[in-house]
This record gives sequence, structure tokens and C-alpha cells, in this order.
Amino acid sequence: MDGNLLAAQFIGGLTSAMSLFLVASGLTLIFGVVNVFNFAHGSFYLLGAYFAYQAVAVSGVGFWAGVLLASLGAGAAGVLMEYFFLRRIYGRAGEAGFQILLTYSFILILDDVVKMIWGTDYKSISKPVALAGSFSLGEVTMPRYDLVVIVIGLAVAFGMWAAIRKTRFGRNLRAISSNREMASSLGVNVPLALSLVFGLATALGGLSGAISAPVRTVTPGAGIEVIIGSLIVVVIGGLGNFWGALVGALVIGEVTAFGILFLPQWAILFSYAVMALVLIFRPEGLLMKRGAVR
Amino acid sequence: MRDDKPGAKYGRDEWAQWGVALVVFAAVPLLGKKHFVNMGNEILVMGLFAMGFNLLYGVTGMLSFGQAAYYGVGAYTVGLLLSKGVAPFWVALPATMAVGGALALVLGPLCIRLSGVYFTMLTLAFAEMVWGIVFKWYDFTGGDNGIQGIPMPEALHSPLRYYYFTLAVVFVSFWLIRRIVDSPFGAVLQSIRENPERTGFIGVKVRRYQLAAMVLSGVFAALAGGLFAGYQHSIHPDMLHWTKSGEVILMSILGGVSSFFGPLMGAGIIVFIEDMIGKYTEFWEIWIGGIMLAIVIFFPRGLIGTFDTWITRWRNHGKHAETAARP
Amino acid sequence: MRKEGRKRQVMLAIGLVLVLGLAEAAQAAEKIVIGAMYPMTGRAGRYGIDSVSAAEIAMNEINAKGGVNGRMIDIIFNDSKANPAYSIKVAKRYITEDKVNFLMGVVSSAVGLAVTEVSKENKVIFVGTDHASTALTTEKFQPYYFRVSNNTYQSAAAAALYAKDIKPWKKYYVIGPDYEYGHRTWEDFWMLLGRQRKDVQLVGQAWPKLFEPDYTPYITAILSAKPDVLVTTFWGGDTVAFIKQALPYKLFDKMKFYNYDGGGNYELLEAMPTGLPKGLVLSARHHLNWPDTKQNKEFVAKFKAQTGRYPSYAAEGAYAGVYFIAEGVRQAGTAEDPDKLVAVMEKIKFKLPEDPEGFMSYMRPIDHQIVQVQAIGETVPDKSFPPATMMLGNWKIFKAEEIIPSVAEIEAARKAVKK
Repeated sequence: MDGNLLAAQFIGGLTSAMSLFLVASGLTLIFGVVNVFNFAHGSFYLLGAYFAYQAVAVSGVGFWAGVLLASLGAGAAGVLMEYFFLRRIYGRAGEAGFQILLTYSFILILDDVVKMIWGTDYKSISKPVALAGSFSLGEVTMPRYDLVVIVIGLAVAFGMWAAIRKTRFGRNLRAISSNREMASSLGVNVPLALSLVFGLATALGGLSGAISAPVRTVTPGAGIEVIIGSLIVVVIGGLGNFWGALVGALVIGEVTAFGILFLPQWAILFSYAVMALVLIFRPEGLLMKRGAVR
Repeated sequence: MRDDKPGAKYGRDEWAQWGVALVVFAAVPLLGKKHFVNMGNEILVMGLFAMGFNLLYGVTGMLSFGQAAYYGVGAYTVGLLLSKGVAPFWVALPATMAVGGALALVLGPLCIRLSGVYFTMLTLAFAEMVWGIVFKWYDFTGGDNGIQGIPMPEALHSPLRYYYFTLAVVFVSFWLIRRIVDSPFGAVLQSIRENPERTGFIGVKVRRYQLAAMVLSGVFAALAGGLFAGYQHSIHPDMLHWTKSGEVILMSILGGVSSFFGPLMGAGIIVFIEDMIGKYTEFWEIWIGGIMLAIVIFFPRGLIGTFDTWITRWRNHGKHAETAARP
Repeated sequence: MRKEGRKRQVMLAIGLVLVLGLAEAAQAAEKIVIGAMYPMTGRAGRYGIDSVSAAEIAMNEINAKGGVNGRMIDIIFNDSKANPAYSIKVAKRYITEDKVNFLMGVVSSAVGLAVTEVSKENKVIFVGTDHASTALTTEKFQPYYFRVSNNTYQSAAAAALYAKDIKPWKKYYVIGPDYEYGHRTWEDFWMLLGRQRKDVQLVGQAWPKLFEPDYTPYITAILSAKPDVLVTTFWGGDTVAFIKQALPYKLFDKMKFYNYDGGGNYELLEAMPTGLPKGLVLSARHHLNWPDTKQNKEFVAKFKAQTGRYPSYAAEGAYAGVYFIAEGVRQAGTAEDPDKLVAVMEKIKFKLPEDPEGFMSYMRPIDHQIVQVQAIGETVPDKSFPPATMMLGNWKIFKAEEIIPSVAEIEAARKAVKK
């Protein structure tokens, strides 16, 4: 096994990891702050992809403007969902069960809405011309677009870190996530903050859908397929832990990239196997402090 | 507040519910429509699945999102034992309960280390792993193709006979569940639901009880899966998919997790709606999704619970009106 | 008060059940009723929706000409949800409630395997139009099942004949979705090619999950293995995603891309108006631009006129299914006697849009599998079916009889299962 192959697999795994992270980051953010496991997160990914298609391929907006619009659109949809529906079940007895049903119902509804508006055929948008090619580092090839995805992923990770650690809003969020009532009594506008976080996270979902539109298939049903993958990532990293999502994505991306060289027949079980190991030895995930739960 | 907690003794009222449920299900075949027999059979099976699930959720307060694993494993127990000719149905069906219980004994201790929504996610994660194994293990489970043409014993060949067989098994199970809930053991489970810490303080080994609840719930889920395999003669990895776990949560919440027959009623409504909507529109997802959303928003206590509230309110309203009329 | 409430609930429940029962008692007996199941949601939704449209076109054509033996055709549709348990339920309802004369449809092979069981138990003929698992016509064969589209064996056999003559194709790599269809499509091909060429070798394989969104690490692994030809058994959106992701790696300059069962579907050509490479070797179960017959052109034009889009290959399968049923009823003179129908249907020979001049598709009695010509082509620039800018061309045609398993092979496969 030569170095080029290893390098190529490493970079391939890194690219996968960043795509995974972009979806999972929003999921874990909602979980960490709003304390909701948003099964419909994949549907915001789907909306992002279709919004980007509508903006770029139909309305002829530039690519990056389209990606921005798609993220904002998905975020707006998320705020609506939070404001009109999710908000009504906070604190209800047996909330978790209702959360599952509510977010699951949005998967079904949004899937049909997408089908009604855009039909069932596959949609495509083109990458910006400047990003169509690839770099060559010796034998190893790396698509330019993938590099952009990695940069966006890192930017999101850093941006979120800065937002949570360095801003007043971030401080409020940390307060809310550790004790909602206390934060509220200290004058934090909790309902507003929750809406904003939900919007931000679904905008991240939309962003990941939009930037994956040129390299994946835009079709109804694509949302539900990313949700289990993202779930695995956040469970491995530690539910609600932002950096955990990054670590989880890197682990899954690289395990898959190298695993397929040795056990190509078992690729679909890799992520489950990693998850099983993590759950058996560290049920709270890699980055959750021991004993923090319960 | 409510007199319909699973633990509460119903007295005559509950006997009426048992009577109604039995008479309605027993009478379904008299309508002479094979389709109703099929629907009834599915409702009974899903009802058992949901009632078993509710032992964990409504009674003990543990929301599992991985019950489909037990249901599917039960189905595969019947499917594999019968199609490989290892054991007859009469052995395979009780065996599902052993297998379901055993699986819960393996996964349960891993899941109950965490609580709340973390517990929920663990159950989901492990169930997805079981799904992956069933999906992938071609030589043993038939992989994604599943198993078809499960050979059933002669005595249960006719759908009608199988229906009454299911009816008997399911109602005996309901009776068992009722007994479990009413027992001192059940009382501990309910106290765990209300407050696990406090229950621990009085010397109860909470985790042991939680594990027991998972095992019992897994036993009934697997039995339901086994009954389903016998009913359709075909099984498939989809039976273990997380959407199936979601379905059973939906049924329970729809009917009402705090009324004993709530999950059965929820199962009936969902099976019925799925059948009707598919007939009329290809956009069934938006309908089912919309109905789910409406249940979540408007029926926080499930249909039975909400009806009870309405009835009570209406009755009280009447009283107030009377009082108001008499100065 | 409370007791009265319960009583009312009971009465209501019983009343509801009775009303529903009576309402559906009357059913028109003179129509030929087909119960169709297609996926209309999720990834395979396109196939299902195209199938529904095409089946309706066929039905209207037949009914406009006065029906079959004076009887009109009526098709009921229901989403299969690509879910076997749900489809079994629908199939049973079709049989017991709607009193259908035929079952039809199904895209997923797993659903097909489940529904064929219902067909067998109830002796209702099931016409499969778009699922490809060879098992349905070999090991799992039952007399009331017919399939009017090619199975994976036929595609694989044609593909092996195609590959046999290309001398530089020596090192193979295979990637496909990790489920029965993906594996079987490849294994049949590799077995048949191995019989005809001794100098071919498999340099690697990869089995991502079905609907995998990200193929990047697989692509880098494929490039490192440097095969001459990459066989893929993807269908639908997976082909699209793989090609999009492989493009910047210049994978298509370095090896031939070969997808011989579902890859040449119009949905792919349409999904990639820009960027689809030239020279991909693809096929599908029906093509818009081949054969160049009047019937095919009319079928495509009619579909386009009625739906506003070009049909994916599933459409022609459903169209064939309705005509197959009509032909069976016409010849048997009944839609109610399944055994009589089977006896004539297993000998049906009829002309379909996908049949080239001088050939008619026909049913083979041994396995109830339709026998058809298979064409494999390469992507070439062609803008006659927009928005696609590439269509298949440079066709190689494989005779129907050369690509079917022999009677002996089928019997051997069936025996192996019985043991």
C-alpha cells in the first residue's frame, strides 16, 4: 500500500467528513441548546438543495448568492417550524415522544411539499466554473470544489465556536442550554433565543444541502437518507456537543475511507460498528464529559 | 387529577372497555368481508406491539425509539425457524418471546446507563445496528429480500382461523400486561416514571426494574412480530427500520399513553388511515404528516385522554350552568 | 352519564363498520380491473409516477378502441411505498375488496418477491413490470407470475457479450449499491464473462450503501486500483451522484464506465445537461431513441404530450404490462379464469415500443419471463430530447435468444433451491 493511496484516501475521508459535519453541526446545535432531536433536519438539507436549485438554475442568481439564499430560506422555514409548532410542546409532560412525532411529521410533510413543487425528476445545478477542476499534488488529485467544502466546514466550525464562546448571544445560549428557567429569570429572552438557534441550525442544514446540490442528487427522499448518518455522527461525538460533531464526522469519514480498502464488502456496517464501540465504552459519546449526563 | 392512569383500578368502567374491545374484534369477521379480517388482524398485532411498548413508555416512562428491533427479531425468529424447517409454528411463536427477551437483556443494560433523551437515542442507535445486521446477513436472514412463503401449519391456513388465533393470543397478552401493571412490580415501574430518584431513595434498584420493563416490552414486541410473520407469510428488514419504531410511538401517543387501551385504539386508527389514504392519493405523506402534527398540537393526551377531558369539562360546564341558573 | 358515553361510542363504532361494509358491496363486474402498485414517494418515485402515466396511456388507448372483447379496462393505483409489508396489504385489499382480475407493477424486487407470494396464494395473476430480480422467474417462480421487462440476467448476459469483444477491457473494478440487486447484477455478468474470457481480472470492488450521498473515498480507491473498466450497478440518483463526484477526478478519462442495467435511463441523461462525459457505456430497459420505429416514436411523443416530460424506462414496462394483460384476456376470452389465462399468456407474442423492426417480444413458458432484444450504447452528443445534451448512440444489439438463461440452467437453479 503506497503513500499516494493513503494520502488520497485520507483526503477523500476528510472531504466526506466535512460534508457530514455540515449536516450534523446543525443537528447537534439544536440538541445542545433547544434540547430537541430534530429528525426533520434532513428535510432542511433537502429544502436547501431545492432552494439552491430554484435560485441558481431557475432564477439565474449567481451560485454563491443562491447558496446564501437557500440557507436563509431553510433557516426561515426552521424559524416558522419552531415558532408555530415546536414551541407549543416545550415542557409538556412526555415531551420527548411528541418531539419525535412532530419532527417526523415534518419529514413527511416537507417531502411531499417538495414533490408537489418540483416533481420527482433529479435536479442539477452547476458548480461555479472556477471550481470545476481539481488540484494535483503529485499523484493525488483533489477537486477544487471539495477544498471549498472543507474550508466552509472549518469556517462554520470556527464561526460557531467564536459565536458561542465570544459573544453575548453565545453566552445566553450556554446559559439556556444549562438551565432554561434560570436563564429566563436572569433576563434572557429565551423564546427568542430558541427561535434564533433553531433558525441558525436549520440554515446550516440548508447550507449543507445547497453546497451538496452540485455534487449529489437533488431528489425527494434525499433528506431522510442523511439523517441516520448524521445521527451516528452526533451520537459518536456526544449529543449536543458541537466539537463532538466534528470529531464524530472525522472518525466516520476516515474509518470509511480506509475501511473500504480492506473490507469493501462490509462498508455499510462501518459506521454502525464504530458507533457500537463508542456506545459500549463511552455511551455519552467521545467528547461528552463523563458523568455529565444523568 | 386523572383516574385513568395505567395503574388505577378501573372497576366496572374498565370491564366495559374489555368487553367492548373483545366483542368488536370478535364480531369483525361476521361482517363477511375478508378485507376487514385482514385489517383487524393487523390492528391486533400492531395493538399488541404498541401495548407492549407502552409498558415501557406510558408505565415506566422510558421512551424507546428502537422497539422495531424486537418486533423484527420476533418476526425473523418465526420466519427462520419455519422456513428452514427447524421448528413448527407452535414452538417458534413462544420462542419469539425468549428471543425478544434475550435481545433486551443484551441491549438493555447498554441503554439504561443513560436516561432521558440520551436513552432514547441509544435505543435507536442499537436498533439501527440490529437492522444493519439483518439487512446484510444474506446467508442467514436472506438480506434485503427478506423471507417469503413462510410455511404455516395447516390449522392456521385460513385467514379467519389465524385471525381468531391472533385474537386469543393478543387478548391473553393484554390480560398479562394488565396484571403486570396492577402488580406491586407494576407499581414500582410507575413510581419510576413519576420520579426515578425518589424511587431509588426508598431502596428500589431502579436500573434492575428498568431492565425488567425493557425485557417485558421486548417480549411482547417480539411476540407481535412473530404473529405478523404468521399473518403475512413474508418478512423483510423494513420491519426493523426506525420508521417502524416511530410508528408504534405514534400509535401509543395518538390513542393515549395513560389509558390502558389507548395504544390499541391508536393502532386501529393508524392502520385504518393508512389503508384509506393510500387508496385516494399519492400524496399520502402530507396527510399522515398533517394528522401527526395535529395530534401533537391538539391532543396532548391522546384521543382517549382528550375525549375524557372533553366529557369531564362538558359535564362540569353543565353543572356550572345549572348552578348559575339558580340564583 | 359516563356509561352512556361509552355506549354511544360502541354504537358509533359498530355503525361505522357496517356502513363501510355495505358501501363497497356493489362492484361493476364487466370491467377488467387491474390493481397496480408503484412507488410514488421517495427515491424510486419517478419510476412509479412514470409507470402510472404510461399505464393510463395504454388503458386509454385500449378503451378508446372499444376495450377487450367489449370490456373496458380499469386500473386502480396505490403507492407501494417500496415497502413489502405495506404492498402485501394493498395487494390483499385489491383482491378481496376491489376484486381485481390482475395485479401489476412494483419497482423494488423485494416488494415483487412479497407480492408474488400473495399472487400464488390467491391465484391472481401478477404482471411484474419493472423489478429485475432473476429469482422471481427462477427459484421463486410460481405459475401466476409474469414479467414483461428484462431481468438482471438478461442485462448481464448482453453486457458480457458486449465486453467479451473488447480486448483492452481486462482489469475490472465493480462498485454498486450493497443490496441484492447491486450484487446480483454484477455476479451474473462476471460469471458469464468468465466463461468467455480467461484474461479478465477483478482488481477491486466497493459496496457503498444504497443512496449513499458521498462517494469520494470510493472514487479515490478506484483511481488507485487503475482498472481498465469500472462496472457500476447503481440505478437512478446514485448514478448521478457518482458521476458528478467522479468528474473532477477525471475518472472517465482514465477508465471506461460501464452500467448495463439501469445506467442508460433517461433520468440520468436529463439530470446532467452539462458535464455528462462522452463515451460512457450504458443501457436501460427502454430507450427514447432506440429502436427507431414508428411505434417507439409514437409512444415517446404521446407520453411527452400528455405529461410534459420524457418517460424513464419504467414507463414502457407499465405500458407493456397493460397491453400484455389485454392480449391475455383477448385470447383467453375471460379475465376470471386464472388457469386458462396462464395457459394463453405464457405463449403471448406482441409488439412493443422497445422491439426493433422484425422482432416481437414474447413470453417464455418455462419461466414466464419476457424475451426481448437488448441494446447497449455509448453516450454521444445529441440534443433531440432536451434538456439532455447527451443520448446513447453507437448501439450494439444483442439478440433476444442469446441473452436468456437456458431451460437447463433454470431447472438446475430451481432444483438447487428445493434441496
